[in-house]
Amino acid sequence: MKKLSSSLLALMVLFALCVATVTNVYAQEVGASSVEFPYTGNRTAVWIVAQLHILFAAFILGAPIFVVISEWLGYRKQDPRYDRLAKEITKVTVILFSMTAVTGGFFVFVLLAAYPQFTTSFINQFYVVFAILYPALFIAETILMYAYLYTWDVWKGEKKGRHIALGVVLNLVCLLILFVINGPTSFMNTPPKAEGVSPQDFIAAATLWDKIANQSWFPLSLHRIDGNVAFGGFIAGLIAAYMYMAAKTQEERAYYDWMGFAAIWIAVGGTLLQPFTGLLLAYEMCDYDFSFCPYMMADQLSMFFEMQGVMIGLLFLGINYYSWLSVKRIEGAENVRTTILAPIVLVVLLPATMWVMNKYWIPDPMSLALLLPLALSPFLFGRFIPMTVSARTVIKIGFIVMLVSDAVWLTPAGFVATGADMPDELKLPEGWDFLSSMPAKLSAILTLVFVTVVNFVLYNRTIKQGTILWGKIDFVSQFVLIFLAFTSTWIMGLMGAVRSLLKKYFHAYSLVSDLSAESFTPTLSYSAGWITAITVFFIAIVSLAVLIALRPSVSRAQEPEGSPVPVAAK
Amino acid sequence: MGNILKKLGVGLAVGGVLVGIARSQAVPADFQVLFFVIALIGAIIFMLLDAQPIRTMSGGKSLVSVVAFGVLLITAGVAGPSLLPQFNPEDEKAKIGKLLEKERKQSAQGKADELIARVKALDAQVKALEDRLKGLGGVQAASTPPAGEKPPTAASASAGDFMKVGEEQWQLQECYNCHKLRGEGGKKRGPELDNIGTLLTVDEIQEKISNPKSFMAEGYEKEWQKGIMPNKFKDLMDPKEMQALAAWLGTFKNTSVNTPKPIKKN
Repeated sequence: MKKLSSSLLALMVLFALCVATVTNVYAQEVGASSVEFPYTGNRTAVWIVAQLHILFAAFILGAPIFVVISEWLGYRKQDPRYDRLAKEITKVTVILFSMTAVTGGFFVFVLLAAYPQFTTSFINQFYVVFAILYPALFIAETILMYAYLYTWDVWKGEKKGRHIALGVVLNLVCLLILFVINGPTSFMNTPPKAEGVSPQDFIAAATLWDKIANQSWFPLSLHRIDGNVAFGGFIAGLIAAYMYMAAKTQEERAYYDWMGFAAIWIAVGGTLLQPFTGLLLAYEMCDYDFSFCPYMMADQLSMFFEMQGVMIGLLFLGINYYSWLSVKRIEGAENVRTTILAPIVLVVLLPATMWVMNKYWIPDPMSLALLLPLALSPFLFGRFIPMTVSARTVIKIGFIVMLVSDAVWLTPAGFVATGADMPDELKLPEGWDFLSSMPAKLSAILTLVFVTVVNFVLYNRTIKQGTILWGKIDFVSQFVLIFLAFTSTWIMGLMGAVRSLLKKYFHAYSLVSDLSAESFTPTLSYSAGWITAITVFFIAIVSLAVLIALRPSVSRAQEPEGSPVPVAAK
Repeated sequence: MGNILKKLGVGLAVGGVLVGIARSQAVPADFQVLFFVIALIGAIIFMLLDAQPIRTMSGGKSLVSVVAFGVLLITAGVAGPSLLPQFNPEDEKAKIGKLLEKERKQSAQGKADELIARVKALDAQVKALEDRLKGLGGVQAASTPPAGEKPPTAASASAGDFMKVGEEQWQLQECYNCHKLRGEGGKKRGPELDNIGTLLTVDEIQEKISNPKSFMAEGYEKEWQKGIMPNKFKDLMDPKEMQALAAWLGTFKNTSVNTPKPIKKN
């Protein structure tokens, strides 16, 4: 309890500092000059701190969803491993919670120092959010988070339901925070507007709700919810990898092997939704102002999206490779077979989807009407076809399909930095240009998702027919878990940069110009350097938190669980 | 080892075939490299799929391996994106500089910069005067006019300058992203404009820029319906700039280009 009160005190002090700073800003003369951050410049300084804050916030908002699902599964299945997983992740979350508050406070200070005038007017626009709603919800979240951790051992047995309910309330508050803070964030990209009225006049008359419920607010929130679940899962996988590597006994290894597996499959659940909510967000952005679309896909940011394709392709390959390694350690996996329809659909899906999408582009329901039966056919009609094929062969075919999909995703109209200056000799020739179209990209994403779903189904079938040897997974899988955590964090950084750069030379798009000399699109190379630095810093802090919260002496106090269990016995 | 060589051989063969096909179809070299690299990644993946399991490590050995793996990831994270074509920010800086010129001047920072510039100009004038005084009766010290003096031609803007402003706005507002003109730019998002001067008057062009819903190009019903052309240019350009852009576009009367007929809507 001493720890709780000291943490609360720290939070109160931080809050008081923020309020004092905000008040001070209000007292500033209009035109107060900004601080010049050495080496990075002001814009990059704000970017670094904001991105770090977002990463910690994404974890502490995503992890509770992950944790409460795990706790509930443990309660329902009466499997203590889920409960231990949930508690261990909560311990790390509590430490990272402090980091979220610290980076959040730091973010406010850096923003105020770098852009005093804009920050003042921005706080003024969202005064109720920044001064009342957000701090109140953050304090509520802190209290609930600590209450959730400290009642873990008290509310067990018959009282477990009460503890899970507390976790659900915590999640509701987390979601509320996400929706509230996404109001000002999305406002900067898509401030509300109306035809025939200047943006400034419209905003002057707009209510707080008008400003919050701007065009990209809801899609951004949806994208961040599933993104946070996926991110929480990948970071939990990283924690499991560290602990597996540090484990001294086979029992510990068995448990952390299982933890990595559970974390990755929860992460996959979020990852599979990511392309669709991301697409929805991009669609709404382009609908708001069509110039966003060429800026992202054809001009200054086109190579950022090329890089996104590379990283997401690698992420999917990593996920499915982990799945393959998981299948390999199941005794009897080599005997598992599945319908021949599965590899046929895998091979046919990409060209079929490209053809359908070219003919019936979204939101034409015909595309769904044609593609859904094709995708579902192995699951619906497979049992009626006697011909079968080895599950391992299907997974290998899936890898080839994934590689082809990655190739399609990575084929741009031309390898140039800006589409407007593309010389003919660098363009894809006629007859090949369909590969660079949006229908082709969407088809590639859909295929990657489909292969992953098929692998998941095959994996489940394999564990039902075989015996998992927990703790016996190929050691290389732990590096795959680290790779997935690194890649997902890097992608978060990249997409964070893209979302922010979309404002172009504005602080708030078309509303408040960024008059500093730094309001230009940086190179991908420059951005990648900082994204990597941010990723390394974040992972180093997470590693430190794992060391503090779950170091072997702390872990040893836990009751040993998770010995190799035949799946059939569960 | 046999497994690795076999997979590598297959990867190289597949890559070679892909490159061969791409080359025969005149696909640019960058794409050939992409296809080849993906074939090699495929080979690496299949090597990994059939590789022997690594023995479990612990303690210092696992720590060293994690650090080494981390260094590899960091190197890839920094170096990988640098291999892709890089956008040159200097192009954009010049554009943004022009777009924000007026606002910057109006802002407090702009005023401070202007004061500093004036002080510098005065300082230069004083120095030039000192030089003149020193050289009285002799050769004039400086052959160039002192800094800060307005060039005599800047006072009036000719018709040519007006057209230049229009062309500059075309570049600054990045109209070329959607419209083809003089055979450059455009991605079929908006109509080709080489004959727009024959179809619309300058005032009508200005009306269209200011209110994109005012005219609809024939064959662009979907785009018009969706409001693809942003309704923001009246906020981004002042009336003179917009007039200049319209006037400049009005000079394009190339009847050999099939610019779609604009239909009056609102």
